[in-house]
Amino acid sequence: MGITDIWTVIILRPMLNALLWLYSTLGGQFWLAIIIFTVVVRVIMTPLMLPQQRSAKKMQQVQPRLQELQKKYAKDREKLAQEQMKLYKEAGVNPMGGCLPMLVQFPIWIGLYQSIIQALGHQPLQLLNLSQNIYPFLQGIWAAVPLNRFFLGMDLSLTPQQLGGLTYALPIFVAFTSWLQTKMITPAASGDGGQAAGMNQSMTMMMPLMFGFFSLSFSTGLSFYFIVSNVIGIITQGFISGWEGLLFWKNMSLSRLLGGGGRPRPATSQQAGGPSQVQARPPAGNERGMQSGSKKRKKRRRKR
Amino acid sequence: MIKSNSRLLPVLGLLLVGVLLAGCGATPVAENWPGLTLEGNTLYVISGLPQRVYLLDVETGMQRATFLPQGMENGIFYWSPVTVGDDTAFVGFGDAKRGVSGLYAFDPETGQELWHVPADDLILPAPAYADGVVYFGDSGGRVYAVDVETRSLKPGWAFEADEAIWASPVVEDQRVYVAGMDHNVYALGAETGEVIWSTDVGGAMAAPPRLDAETGLLYVGAFDGRVHALQADTGEPVDGFDFKAENWIWSEVLVAEDRLYTASLDGRLYALDTQTGATLAPYPFDTSALAGAESAIRTSPVQAGENVIVGTEAGRVVAVREGQQQWTWPSGLPESPIYTTPVVAEGRVYVVLMNGQVQSLDASTGAPGWAFVPPQAD
Repeated sequence: MGITDIWTVIILRPMLNALLWLYSTLGGQFWLAIIIFTVVVRVIMTPLMLPQQRSAKKMQQVQPRLQELQKKYAKDREKLAQEQMKLYKEAGVNPMGGCLPMLVQFPIWIGLYQSIIQALGHQPLQLLNLSQNIYPFLQGIWAAVPLNRFFLGMDLSLTPQQLGGLTYALPIFVAFTSWLQTKMITPAASGDGGQAAGMNQSMTMMMPLMFGFFSLSFSTGLSFYFIVSNVIGIITQGFISGWEGLLFWKNMSLSRLLGGGGRPRPATSQQAGGPSQVQARPPAGNERGMQSGSKKRKKRRRKR
Repeated sequence: MIKSNSRLLPVLGLLLVGVLLAGCGATPVAENWPGLTLEGNTLYVISGLPQRVYLLDVETGMQRATFLPQGMENGIFYWSPVTVGDDTAFVGFGDAKRGVSGLYAFDPETGQELWHVPADDLILPAPAYADGVVYFGDSGGRVYAVDVETRSLKPGWAFEADEAIWASPVVEDQRVYVAGMDHNVYALGAETGEVIWSTDVGGAMAAPPRLDAETGLLYVGAFDGRVHALQADTGEPVDGFDFKAENWIWSEVLVAEDRLYTASLDGRLYALDTQTGATLAPYPFDTSALAGAESAIRTSPVQAGENVIVGTEAGRVVAVREGQQQWTWPSGLPESPIYTTPVVAEGRVYVVLMNGQVQSLDASTGAPGWAFVPPQAD
C-alpha cells in the first residue's frame, strides 16, 4: 500500500462518504452538506485544540515575566533563550502550539478539495474515481449520480476564475472573514516595530490574502468551508474574548489596518479550526516592543 | 538584515505553500481516456501530448497522418472518439481554456481539416453517422444533428436533456436512441429530434444502449449497477428482467451467442440471459483475481471469435471463453490502465493504454504484434 492508497483510505474516503451521506440526508443539496460537514469538523476538532487554547492563555499570563527576562538578559541572547524555555516549561506553555491547528487542517483542506472534485466531477475520470471510493453501504447514492452541484446557479466544482462574475465575491469574503478572525485572535502590536510585532503584522495580512488566493484557485465549494469555518471561529472567539474585535472600523487607519492593532489587546487563546488562525509568536530576545511596558513597571516599582 | 529576513521567511513559506496548493487546484489535464476507432485499414487513435488524432496503418502500425484543428497546437484538449462515414472522418474536439468546442470533419486519409460546426459544450461521446447526418451529444445535454452535405445543423432539429450526454447516440429505423446522464433513455425522431418516448431507468448512463434488432429490445448499463432492458418501440421496461452488479456499469452491453455480456466497475465480466437478466454460470469472471486487487472494467466487452475480450483498469487485456481465461496481456507487469474499449478485426485485437501506447495482439493467443508509442511533448 503506497502513500496515495493510505491517503485515500484514511482521509479521502471517509470525508467523501461523509459528504455523500450528508448530501443524501439533506435532500440532495451539496452546499448544505459542505456547511454541515464544516460544523461537524469544527466540533470534532475542538477537544483536540483545547490544550493549545490553554497554552495560549498561559502564554498571556507569563508575558510580564518574559519581559523582565528580556530586560535582564538583553545582552546575553543565549542565556535569555534558556531562561525563556525554562519559563515556558514551568508555566506549561508550548511556544509552537499555534502550528498545530494549521497542520491539522491541511489534510482536511486537501481532502475536502479532492472530495468535492470527485463528488461533483463532470469529467469521466473524476466520476470513475468516485465509483471506486463510495462505501458499499452507501450504494443508495449511486442513483443520485451525477450529484446536484449547483447553488444559486453557481457550480460548486468550478473555481471563481472559471465561473467569473459575482463568484469573485467569494474569495473576497473568505479573505475578509479570515482577516476578521485573525484580528480577533492576534495580539495587538505595540507600535514600536518589534520583531514579533512585525511578524504578527505580516501574518495578519498575509494569511487572509493567502486564503483569498486559495479560494480564487480552488472550487467554490471549498470557499464555503473556509467561510463557514471562519464565521464559527469568529463567533467562538467572540464568546471567549469579547466582541470588540468585530468593531474593526473604529479607529481604523491604514497603518492600523495593516498592523493588526486597534486598541492594544492582550494575547488570546488559540481557537481550533479556522483557516486563518495565527498564534502570537512568543517574544524573542531583543524585543523593543516590550520595553515600553517594562519602563512602566520600573516606574511603578520606584514609586513603591 | 537578519531581522528583516526572519520576518520575511514565514511569509514567503506560507506563500510557497499557497502556490503549491493552488497548483493542485488548477484545471486538470485531459480527463478522458484515449479514443480508438477502426475503419477500413486505418486505426484512428487519439493520443499523445498534446493529444491529436493519429491515423495508423492497421497492418503495420505506421503513422499515416495526424489531425489537429488549425491553430490548436497547445492546450488542454477534450476529444470524442472518431467516427467515419461518407468518406469523411468526424471527431468532437474542445479546448476548455479557449472555450472552443465543435464537431470537426477531416479527410480520413490525409487528416486534412475539412470543416467544423461549433457546439455549446464539450463533445465526449463518439458521433454517430447515418444517412448523411452526424448525430452527437455534448456535456451540456444538447443533442445535435449535422447535415454533412450542407455542413450545418439540420434546420428545426432540437433536443436537450437535463444533464450531460456522454454516450454515443444509436441510430436505427429513423430513430435516434440516446442514453443520458439525467437517467433517461430517449428515443428521438431522426428527422426533427422530437421525443418519441423517454424512460427514467434510475441511474445515469455513460455508455450507449445496445439494440438487439432480432428481439427489438434495448439493453443499457447504468450507474445504478443495473442492466436495463427496454422495448425499443415504446420504452417500456421488460417485465422480469433484473440484473445488478456490485458497482456501476459504464460499458456497452454485448449481444452474442444468444446471451448478453456486460462488464462492471466491480471488475467482473458477466454473461446474462437475454430475457431475465440472470447471470449464466460459470460467469461472472472476476478480473480482480488477475490483478491481485480490485480492478474496474470500464471497457465494453468485445467479441473476437469465441473469446470475449475486456481491458481492465489494472492494465490487462483478458480473453475469456465460457467463464474461463484464455489469455491475458501483458505477460509481465502492466504499464498503464486500459479504459478504452479494444477493437477487433481480421483476427487481431487493438488496444490503447491510458499512457497512449497502441498495441496489436493476436486475438486467439494474445501474442503481441506491433506497438505504436505516440510522441510526448517535452
